[in-house]
Amino acid sequence: MWKDLLVERRSKETLNALFFFGLLLLFVFQFALGPDRERLAGTLPGLLWLGFILSGLLGLGRTFVAERENDCWEGLVLAPGDKSAIYVGKLAGNLLLMLVIEAILLALFAFFFNLDLAGALPGLGVVIALGTVALAAVGTLFAAMTAQVRARELLFPVLLLPVEAPVLLATVKATEAVLLGEPLGSVAHWLKLLAAADVVYVAVGVLTFDFVLEA
Amino acid sequence: MPDNWGFVFTAYGLAAVVLTLYWRFLVRREKELDDAGVVRQQLRQSSSASGPQAAGGGRLP
Amino acid sequence: MRRLLGSVTVAGLVAGLVMAFGVAPREETQGNVQRIMYLHVPSVWVAYLAFAVVLVCSVVYLVRRAEGADQLAHASAEVGVLFTGITIATGSIWGRPTWGTWWTWDARLTTVSILFVMYLGYLLLRGMIEDRERGARFAAVLGIIAAFNIPLVHFSVIWWRTLHQPPSLMKPGGAAMPDIIRYALFVNFAAFTLLYAYFVIRRARVLRLEAEADA
Repeated sequence: MWKDLLVERRSKETLNALFFFGLLLLFVFQFALGPDRERLAGTLPGLLWLGFILSGLLGLGRTFVAERENDCWEGLVLAPGDKSAIYVGKLAGNLLLMLVIEAILLALFAFFFNLDLAGALPGLGVVIALGTVALAAVGTLFAAMTAQVRARELLFPVLLLPVEAPVLLATVKATEAVLLGEPLGSVAHWLKLLAAADVVYVAVGVLTFDFVLEA
Repeated sequence: MPDNWGFVFTAYGLAAVVLTLYWRFLVRREKELDDAGVVRQQLRQSSSASGPQAAGGGRLP
Repeated sequence: MRRLLGSVTVAGLVAGLVMAFGVAPREETQGNVQRIMYLHVPSVWVAYLAFAVVLVCSVVYLVRRAEGADQLAHASAEVGVLFTGITIATGSIWGRPTWGTWWTWDARLTTVSILFVMYLGYLLLRGMIEDRERGARFAAVLGIIAAFNIPLVHFSVIWWRTLHQPPSLMKPGGAAMPDIIRYALFVNFAAFTLLYAYFVIRRARVLRLEAEADA
């Protein structure tokens, strides 16, 4: 019970910090790209996912910070039963965190760049859901692997970003289409790639987490 | 189209240099480790040679 | 035995050079600069081979904990990164006179660059974990994820480049590859594969000696 409260409080801190981070990113994007609306409009899908990934790097990287700081690592490692359950639990938590952050970022984007997202929302929802699962699945796994490395803040992005490159390509392309009002069918190949990535990453995560959390 | 042999030789030359350097790294490292291994073997042999003597000496009343 | 492999490798490389410079004809469109292909393409094939070996050895290590498998994986990843680097460098050098630019985000260079960074990360991970056994386990998991990522990268990049880009990117050798060019390519590929095997065997032996020295 105490642990659950602790966890919830930490998530709120994380959420707050990530919210402000997202806001800052938006400002930076605006300053970096200038007032030219046309140019901004073209890069919007990319900027959106850049925002998602950068927030994700921060948020996902902290997945095991509680266990590490409070010396609970042994608790994880010695826990009886299937360690994959821990992975799934952490994954679910991360998914929730990411989706909330993404929703907030999306709202901020719509506000600052004056977008009308009404029609695009269902399509966006699909793309964001598929992409986020891929991010969170690998992110949770890598977070566990880098948790006890000394330069973890450096190693985690270095490992995660190249692996997520195809996911980034797919989501940006699909988001582009959705924002232009095209039907999801036109980017079916990208969506299938994302779905395949989701399946592969989650499967590998579930199957190998036991090996990651060994004594 | 000009032949650009310069680029061809640069490419092959670069590859040759990199591969040769790697090969030399391997050869050197292997030699170091082999030598270290031989030294360890000799140390182990000399310590086991002097061992039984000490044990035998200890048992004399 | 290794002497033999070494000699055969050298013979193979010489044969490859002979094929590339002596036997293969001067290409019509690009001129002699196209001969870089006999270096560039076999390099990328060897890199893929190397990473496939990393996958197999990673799985074997996780299942059987055979240190030999781990050492082989490490060696293969290192040699793979080496050849990937050569692929990128030769691709860039080939591109400069051919396309007028040092860098282009064409399908092959982009894919290979992502692979380069992924497996460089693999080597970094190994370097940063002090505990030998844990490093082996984590590297194996990463090796599996990276390998499954290769087809995802391949398709996403190809779709990214070809679905909007006009086919102005020159394919080496033109539409149908004359047999003589194909033979030259094959000889070089065989030579490079021998070189790969030679390097990996030596590197794995160095790793084994290092492990014995630390024991």
